[in-house]
Amino acid sequence: MALAQLYQAQFRTSLATMIQYRASLVIWLLGQVLEPLIYLIVWSNVSVAAGGSVGGYTTGDFAAYFIVLMVVNHLTYTWIMWEYEYRVREGTLSAALLRPVHPIHADVADNLSSKVVSTPGILLTALVLSLIFQPTLHLVPWTAVVFIPAVALAFVLRFLVEWSLAQAAFWTTRVTSLNQLFFVAMLFLSGQMAPLTLFPPAIQTVAALLPFRWMISFPVELLLGNLTPQQTITGFAAQAVWIVLSLVLLRIVWRAGVRVYSAVSG
Amino acid sequence: MTTLRLVWTFFRIGVMGEAQYRVNFAIQVFQSLLGLVTALAGLAVVFSYTDSLGGWGPNEVAALVGVYILVGGIIGVVIQPSMEEFIESVREGTLDFTLTKPEEAQLLVSIQDVDIWEGLNILLGLGVLGVALERLGENVGWAQAVAFGVMLLAGAAIVYAFWLILATLSFWFLRIENILVIFQSVYEAGRWPVTIYPGWLRFGLTLIVPVAFAVTVPAEALTGRLDWPTALAAIGLAALLLVVPRVVWRVGLRRYSGASA
Amino acid sequence: MTDPAIHTQGLTKVYTVSEREAGMRAAVQSLVHRRTEEVRAVDGISFELAPGEVVGFLGPNGAGKTTTLKMLSGLLHPSAGALTVLGHVPWKRDKDFLRRITLVMGQRNQLVWDIPAADSFELNRAIYRLPAGDYKQTLRELTELLDLGPLLKKPVRNLSLGERMKCEIAASLLHRPQVVFLDEPTIGLDVTMQRRIRAFFAEYNQRFGATVLLTSHYMNDVEALCRRVIVIHEGRLLFDGDLASLVQRFTSHKTVVVQLETCPDNLSAYGEVVSCEDGLATLRVPKGETPRVTARLLADLPVIDLTVEDPPIEEVIERVFAQKASSPETKGDG
Repeated sequence: MALAQLYQAQFRTSLATMIQYRASLVIWLLGQVLEPLIYLIVWSNVSVAAGGSVGGYTTGDFAAYFIVLMVVNHLTYTWIMWEYEYRVREGTLSAALLRPVHPIHADVADNLSSKVVSTPGILLTALVLSLIFQPTLHLVPWTAVVFIPAVALAFVLRFLVEWSLAQAAFWTTRVTSLNQLFFVAMLFLSGQMAPLTLFPPAIQTVAALLPFRWMISFPVELLLGNLTPQQTITGFAAQAVWIVLSLVLLRIVWRAGVRVYSAVSG
Repeated sequence: MTTLRLVWTFFRIGVMGEAQYRVNFAIQVFQSLLGLVTALAGLAVVFSYTDSLGGWGPNEVAALVGVYILVGGIIGVVIQPSMEEFIESVREGTLDFTLTKPEEAQLLVSIQDVDIWEGLNILLGLGVLGVALERLGENVGWAQAVAFGVMLLAGAAIVYAFWLILATLSFWFLRIENILVIFQSVYEAGRWPVTIYPGWLRFGLTLIVPVAFAVTVPAEALTGRLDWPTALAAIGLAALLLVVPRVVWRVGLRRYSGASA
Repeated sequence: MTDPAIHTQGLTKVYTVSEREAGMRAAVQSLVHRRTEEVRAVDGISFELAPGEVVGFLGPNGAGKTTTLKMLSGLLHPSAGALTVLGHVPWKRDKDFLRRITLVMGQRNQLVWDIPAADSFELNRAIYRLPAGDYKQTLRELTELLDLGPLLKKPVRNLSLGERMKCEIAASLLHRPQVVFLDEPTIGLDVTMQRRIRAFFAEYNQRFGATVLLTSHYMNDVEALCRRVIVIHEGRLLFDGDLASLVQRFTSHKTVVVQLETCPDNLSAYGEVVSCEDGLATLRVPKGETPRVTARLLADLPVIDLTVEDPPIEEVIERVFAQKASSPETKGDG
């Protein structure tokens, strides 16, 4: 099938590029490690100052939370929004539009192949951080198993949403502001800044209604054993719903974007 | 001195270039406010569970955030745009134009691009700082204000030196397009007092990527936490670091122009 | 005899380039073991330029023209050889030296994108510390020569490619340099603009006596502007002399163009037929035989008009390039 071949070819290209740009890769990873690390330290400090635990999380729990978060964040990560901004600026977008295959496949392939190279690095970092910060992780077998599809769906959801938002590059060259707004929302509502249960109830409700939680926090909470079986099922349902919604959004935005692009560039 | 006039000319031209993009101002306002909200909201959540973070109270950390934004603005106005432009000019070959000018290339490269709207962060940072200090009930005496000014200058010099060294490294590492991102990623750590970080990280944030000297130390000066050893270290490091990048720059240029080692 | 403006002796530049084959295995291998190769971009070039000369460096892409230019302007250290420009050693980059030279690169801008060119000029004025009076006068002259009038107030991004090039050139001449280095200045421009720019430099050289060194792979640039041509190929100097000698030395044929009523069948008897249309025949005739062939043509056929021409320069140059590099007899009369 042509699609499988496309993925294979894209894999090889991305891999070769990655080996060439391996230093850039390390720098990119650095950023991905630092943010959860900083919050890990902040919350550990708070926990210690408050007598050993905060909001049901002990210092060891915080360590576990943020280390798992770092890994999940990495696995679900996309840089597609910057990529599209770059492409529109350089005018290389048309090349993708001319291909017989929907450009999203090349982007997915590129994303996954990059992670083949970078994931070992992140896992190694997680190991090192575990040795330093001594997380308390109670792994229940069934959660470990269910974790994998949860992460997979989280990745799909995150990729679809961010890919749709990336299409804004068709309309404006100023997508950086849009991106920033998105990432700030993500920071607070996806659990990157703190476990969502630490936020006031109003914020938690908002977080439950938006897709961010299901992109990152949900698999993390799952693996840490913080969810009941019922909450787990609700979580998967929420992921499914949001994936469907984002597919619809993607279609609309893509069509509109192509129309705009061909009108402008002719 | 004519060098100052040169700097002023570059600044004037840079402002002229940017000022016509009023949309950029609106965008800067948006982004700056977003940054502010992020920092303060984060603060709020953390301090809803504790009174002290690494020995710093909420208003002290707010003052720190003010310095963080302020220094970020200083970097954003001239250091970052010029260094980014420099790295691009190496790639595009337009650095050759700079090198055939009868003026110190390091200077030209460091002032060549100005993003005046980032100045908003300077104002915003000062604003946050002011409010935080007022809430602390601190009367900022002359001594503290001067100490703050000196530490800020030292911090800015150290940050500039670091950016220049990073950018000059692109002579060797042509394929690291995002080398400057190193600082930006690590700078995030400056939003919190450096005292909360474990020793090894604190070391990294002081001597490897000088975030501590950029943000925490000036904040300490203003909130009366500054001790002499730290102050002297800051000044000493700033002096040292005005020499080191020069050496790195010279070596880098020799490499760029293919001089045998 | 005045000192030469530019003097080079055995100028050489050697690069080490890493090379790698395509494919996944090679990519991973390159992580461990880097294979390098030595490239002699410039290999023992020697020449001299007197002040006020206009010289063209001609050569195919990758011949070493730009590398030579960069060494002359101080941007590159030579690997070997002696080199002085205006009495200075370029790579030392004395401020005094830099004040008296300028570099113009085709398709590369030094003007600030978002502001009117006039404001960019101010930057150069500050850098070169030009007194107000001199600056204004030079600007006036350049504006007149390049026809810049309405362009100066427009932001550079709004100018067409040709207009931008004119402003770039003006910016590079504000400090009245004695030596002007031009690296492919007309590349990417339309024919009219190319001609304008060539005419400008010819006039500039006449008026101000600046030494002009131009690299190009467009024959027209060199033809129109330079009396002296230096041909570089694979890093070596292939020819150094005037254009006419170049043509003479490297052509063994002449082009005979005959205007007849119709194209006769036996035309090939006179020489190699390049083309024949509507009675206009173009023949390629060995140099020695030209007088005899023309005489025969005039005697045998109803000739309306006949001219004997040198072959087009392009053809000459191609032939020069095709030769093996640097044998002593290829050096022309300087």
